[in-house]
Order: sequence, then structure tokens, then C-alpha cells
Amino acid sequence: MKHALDTVTAWLARGVIAFLYIPIVVVVVLSFNDSEVTYKWAGFSTRWYGTLADNTELLAALRVSAEVALISATLATVCGLLSAMGMARLARRWKTVFSGGLFLPLIIPEIVLGVALLSVFGAMGADLGMTTLVLGHLVVTLPYASLIVLGAYNALDSSLGEAATDLGCNPWQAFRRVTLPLLRQPLLAAWLLCFTISFGNIVMSTFTNGIGSTTLPLRVYSMLKGGLTPEINALGTLLVLFTLLIILGVGLRQMRQVLLGGKRG
Amino acid sequence: MTAAPPRSARGAAVTTALLAPAGITVLGLVLVPLILVVRNSFASADAYGGVQGGYTLTNYQDLFEPIYLKVFGYSLGMAALNTLVCLVLGYIVSYYLAGRSQQRQMLLLLLIIVPFWTDFLVRTFAWINLLSPGGPVNSLTDAIGFTDGPTQWIPSQGASFIGLVYAFLPTAIFPIYASLRGVDNSLGEAARDLGCGWWRVHTRVLLPIARPGMLAAALLTFIPTLGVFVIPVLLGGGRDQLVGNLIVTLYTEFRNQPMGAAASVVLLVLMVASMAVFGLAARRLRRKTA
Repeated sequence: MKHALDTVTAWLARGVIAFLYIPIVVVVVLSFNDSEVTYKWAGFSTRWYGTLADNTELLAALRVSAEVALISATLATVCGLLSAMGMARLARRWKTVFSGGLFLPLIIPEIVLGVALLSVFGAMGADLGMTTLVLGHLVVTLPYASLIVLGAYNALDSSLGEAATDLGCNPWQAFRRVTLPLLRQPLLAAWLLCFTISFGNIVMSTFTNGIGSTTLPLRVYSMLKGGLTPEINALGTLLVLFTLLIILGVGLRQMRQVLLGGKRG
Repeated sequence: MTAAPPRSARGAAVTTALLAPAGITVLGLVLVPLILVVRNSFASADAYGGVQGGYTLTNYQDLFEPIYLKVFGYSLGMAALNTLVCLVLGYIVSYYLAGRSQQRQMLLLLLIIVPFWTDFLVRTFAWINLLSPGGPVNSLTDAIGFTDGPTQWIPSQGASFIGLVYAFLPTAIFPIYASLRGVDNSLGEAARDLGCGWWRVHTRVLLPIARPGMLAAALLTFIPTLGVFVIPVLLGGGRDQLVGNLIVTLYTEFRNQPMGAAASVVLLVLMVASMAVFGLAARRLRRKTA
């Protein structure tokens, strides 16, 4: 028999899930609002998307973000794959030490990581710009890439590689023809997740960007300090769409594994 | 794919080469920088925003000024409250999820993943839309007669808090659901048949099972909340600051790196302390169930 409180909590839970969507839906709806102020509905219009397309500063920032995300996601995924392969060859004790280091950036507050990197760049006299931005984003994305790739790599059947070697493959061929194709899905998932994390990152970017390397979130943040405009809602809508595409790309199964199976999503 | 442990020198070289990129990244971009922050927190600032050598405790003493102590107190309170709300709501949602059919669980999970992956800034400025004077929330409260005319909901501490809960709720749901989803539905029913009331089913049976997930969720909410700086600026008007705001202000506006480093070290210490507390709780939990 169902308890009355079960009904109450079920409705509460549905309410919470709805609560998660209300702000997102409002952003999407208001992005089509033909009004100078965001919240007063004045009819349907797509003009803010036009304004958005004409905003050269935003487009420049979009370009920076896309480039940084592309490079850092690739670096993080490659580093993750290499360390998964390397760790398989380590003794158990060293494996623990190495994975501890790899996942360290997950538990340290990102803002401290940003401050720390800035101190090093400052001490070295390095100019802040694309390079420092990429390195900062690499620190943030590497643990996520490692988490996914390591899990997938360890789940592979080790006899497959041995079989390939027995059949006359050298290690490189075994990697190219057997391991890599089997890991294509998780590698793609890792790359896409790192891309999203880097693309939306604001904390690390605050400390590692320089003149001419303002990322999209940094630009939007400074725009928002001057007040919310319908143009920003239009951008938000595009970003929501982008999220949906990424989730479709990664696949629900992979996503569920990342979020529920591991230490942290 | 576990290769045979390498015996040759060449094997060791390959292993090193494979581990080098990630190893160098962690060493050079995480460990050495952290050491430098700790060292800088004892240095003094020069007039140009640089770091001057020397060892002093002034930075830490300065952090004990009432204005900064207020920031730490406010941050801890906000983070604790945010953690509490996220845990309660996270448990309720997870319990609901775990009780659905397999197919529905997948669908609902997808529904929670979408906001989770939605851009952090979008999720924050969405609330500016909602809470603006004359905006949707205001119109609703006008309609039910709760308010009369345009009401100033932002900036405020309340708006800041809603933004924090909204930002961290999905993060809190996943680990709790992960620990509850394996539970057989019949477990609760069995407890009920054996005479447990609704509360006892939860407090005696389900909550203990969910506790590892709850601990993880608390850790993923409490520490990151302290480091947030965007939400208090955009929704709180920048008046009531979190530790994150303090660090950013010290670095970018006051150009006082050593003091910013000291504030970062305090945040690190808070992190270690709360991890110790959560770790202790987890160990007690394990001993109890063992």
C-alpha cells in the first residue's frame, strides 16, 4: 500500500525536476522576445539572433573558446589514453600513486588551481594568452578524460592485444588495428566532454587569459555585469542547443557510466 | 588491456614515455604551482602587483581582519546551507528515480543530465530573467497578491542562494542516485511489512544505503560552493562575498598576490579539513555496516 508521504515526495521530486527546467525554458522563450528589455513579452522575433551574429567581439571570443577547447580537449584525451596504457604496465603501488596525482585536480578547488598557475606563469615571466589558457584548461579537463579513458581501457579484454601479437602484429600495429578501434566510442566521449568543460570554463580562464584571448564565458560575464540583454538570451539558447548535441554525441549510455560509475561527474 | 609487466630496459622506457605527458602536466601545472602558492602566501607584495621575497605572516594576520572573517563566516554558512538543501532535494529525487521502471529511470536521468551539462553562466543568468522586477516570478507573485507592482528580487542574498542551489543540485543528485539505484524495491516493502512506518523505512533502511552517495554529494557541493565567484556577483550584486570572490578581488582588483595566495591556502586548508570530516564519517559508516 502506498503511503501518503510517498505521494508527497513523488510530487516534490517531479517539482524539483521541473524546477531544473524553468530557467532554461525561460531563456529560450525570452530569446525570441521582440523587446528591448528581456522580461516584458512584446511578440515573437528572431532579431536578437541577428544582433548576435553582428557582435564581432562575441564572435572573436567564440573563436578563442572554440580553439582553446579544441586543443585542450585533444591534449587531455591523448594524455589520458597514453597514461591509461602506461598505467597498465605499472606495479600496483605506482599505479595508485600515479592515479592519485591524475585525479588531484578534481578535489582541489578550481580557483586555487587557477591562482597556482598564475603564480607560476608570473614567476616565469610568461605572457598570458592562448598558450597559458590552453595549459589551464588542460589541467581542468585531464582528470575527466583520464577517468573515462582509464575506465574503458581497463574494461578491454587483455587477451585481444595478446591475440593480435600472436597473429604477428607488432605492438604498434596491435594498438592501431585492435586497441584504438575498440576505444573509439569512449575516446570520442572523453573528447566531447572535455570540449564542453573547456568551452564553458570561467574560473580557470579568469586567471589564465590575456589581452586578445578573452573566452566566450569571460566576455558574456563582463557583458552581464552591465545588465542582461535579449541578445545574451539568444546566445544562451544556442548554448543549450549545443549541450543537447553534445549529449546526443556522447550517448546516454556513456554519459550514465561517467556520471554514476566513477568518482565524480 | 593489461600488457605483461615490462622486464627490459626498453619496456621501462616505453612506460615512462607513455606516462610522461600526463605526469609532466600534473607535476608542472599542478604540484609545483601549488607549492609556489603556499610559498607566495608568506611573501609580501610590491607596488606593481608583483611578489617580493621574504617570509612574513602579515598576509594571514590581515585575513583575520573582521571584514575578511565575515567573508569566511558567510561562505561557510552559505556552503553549509546549500549542501543541506541539495542533499535533501537530491535524496528525494533519487528515491523517486530509483522507484521507477528501468525505462523511466533512463528517461528521467536524461532529463537531469541536460541541465547538468548546460553552460554554468546560462544557468546563472537565467535567474536574472526570472527574478527581474516585472519578470515571470514577479508577475506570478503579483497575480496571487503576494506582491504589488515591480519588486526587487535581485540583487539579494536570497537570489544568490537560489542560484547556488540551482547550480549544484544536479551534481548532488548523481552520487545519491548511484548509491540508491541498486536497491531492490522490495527492500522498502519488506521493511514496511515488518511494521516499519514511512519514516522508519527511510531512516533505518534507505538512508543508510544512500549515505556513501550523500557523503560524496556533500563533498561535491560544499567545497566548490566556497570557490564560486560568478553567482554572488551576478545575483547577489557583489555585496555578500564568498571566498571565491575574495580571491578574485585580491588578485585582479587589489593586485595583492601574496594575500590572494594566503586566502587560497585557507581555502585549501578548509578543503582538507572537510575531507577529513567526510572521511571520518565514511569510515564510521563502514565500521557500522561491517
